[in-house]
Amino acid sequence: MDATTGIPPAVTEETAAFWSAAQEGRLVVEQCTACGATSFPPRGICRSCRGRETSTAEITDRGVVYSFTVNHQRWLPDLEVPYAMVLVEFPAHPGVRVTGRLRGCPAEETRIGMLVDIGFEPGPGGQAIPSFIAAGADA
Amino acid sequence: MGTEHLERRVVVSGVGQSQIGRQVDRSGLQLTLDAITAAVADAGLRLDDIDGLATFPGGGAANLPGYANGNLYEVQDALGLRTTWRQGIVEGLALPFYGTAQAVATGQARHAVIWRTVKEGSAARNAGGRPAYGSTKPVAEGPLAWLLPVGMLSPVCQVAPYAMRYMHEYGATREQLGWIPVTQRAHAALNPDAVYRTPLTLEAYLESRMISTPMCLYDCDVPADGATAIVVSAIETAGDLRAPVRIEAMAGVVEGRPSWDQWEDMGRVGHGAARAMWERTDLRPADVDVAQLYDGFTIEVVWWLEALGFCSTGEAADFVDGGSRISLGGELPLNTWGGQLSGGRLHAGFGHTAEAVRQLRGEAGERQVDGAQVVALGNVGGFEAGAALLTRW
Repeated sequence: MDATTGIPPAVTEETAAFWSAAQEGRLVVEQCTACGATSFPPRGICRSCRGRETSTAEITDRGVVYSFTVNHQRWLPDLEVPYAMVLVEFPAHPGVRVTGRLRGCPAEETRIGMLVDIGFEPGPGGQAIPSFIAAGADA
Repeated sequence: MGTEHLERRVVVSGVGQSQIGRQVDRSGLQLTLDAITAAVADAGLRLDDIDGLATFPGGGAANLPGYANGNLYEVQDALGLRTTWRQGIVEGLALPFYGTAQAVATGQARHAVIWRTVKEGSAARNAGGRPAYGSTKPVAEGPLAWLLPVGMLSPVCQVAPYAMRYMHEYGATREQLGWIPVTQRAHAALNPDAVYRTPLTLEAYLESRMISTPMCLYDCDVPADGATAIVVSAIETAGDLRAPVRIEAMAGVVEGRPSWDQWEDMGRVGHGAARAMWERTDLRPADVDVAQLYDGFTIEVVWWLEALGFCSTGEAADFVDGGSRISLGGELPLNTWGGQLSGGRLHAGFGHTAEAVRQLRGEAGERQVDGAQVVALGNVGGFEAGAALLTRW
């Protein structure tokens, strides 16, 4: 399933770290230098203590599917359908929920509570996008 | 709004609509002028009485072709008005009349009109199908940067995970949700201005093509062309008005993470706005005669039924099952004009508000709810949420 048809993200001061790590296949989120809280999407400010000094933290854990949808509609010419998209949470990182595509199982087998591994794949405009991989188990 | 009941210093004095259809071959400006002139006449006012103008979305914001029409300054110029207050709203439209009511209540204008004009039906036809949300721009900006690139290319993709989560948590089924569009289609049959009026069966709903699971074709509203204008007037002008309607209470609360994908509890939406609204009135859910609840998608009706307290959290699917409670003649007639699912995507609660006013005046024709005294409005699904009660004069 090709995911390159679509609309690429605008890359900003806040989001550049995320998108450049994505090109390397790594999931990074914003982490507060003062209180250590992790947050997504990056806002350049800590959502827990409002500290303005932030760095990045890489997440490597398995995630859990909070919810999902399988899109069947061809919204753009050449868009390959159907494909599953999952909203993934990480129990060790409250406040982080990342939306991406899902690979590794038929779209119709996507379930809430599935465990997924972090991954990326080529997306629109040459930008790698989150693309989780079904781990074959439930949380 | 504060604790003082500013909304009771104003009335909804007029509503007007242009021709509405899947495609109406008039410009957005002409549809807008048709709706405004109709709404002002409906209020019993003259155009020169209007000193406030507002529109959604202002600033030409358009994430879909045909989304934004009727430029505020072109409208003022076309009508030759003098205004003391103007507002183009991109964000913060809790209710169509929210900012307008606040402006009139605080003396910024005496008679203000707000309009919403859509040409999304024509735009979809011209594009050969419903285009991707955000496809009017080369890159996805702001919150859309996390949605469009991964393939959430339409609001239906963004709302579908809410429906999936709701069904997972509360055991709701498509066989139950289907009664929302089926019942609203029956109401649309009684509305000559509705886009789709032929009967819809539950079987046809269940067999219709899937758009983004679990939302199928008939869970989604219908792109349309048309304009709706609403006039809000200072209450001291009531004697000059043909048929004003009261705003008993209104509230617009955004709490939680204001983002389609980050909203914490996707099984519960709109509760903050609804709670704040009920705190501003002595009326209770049992006093409501008619509900006009935003229905960009069926799941949004579910949210509002629960948030506004017509049933408990997790019980809306049972509430709509079979359709009897939400039909004309039932305990809570729902979206009596057909809603956006059958009446057309007039968007952002404008069609719902027009119908609420008509019901309270007894001007809803064949779909009139006898003796309607109180109408509940729940507007916009998701984090942006507004709730109101409109009552008979």
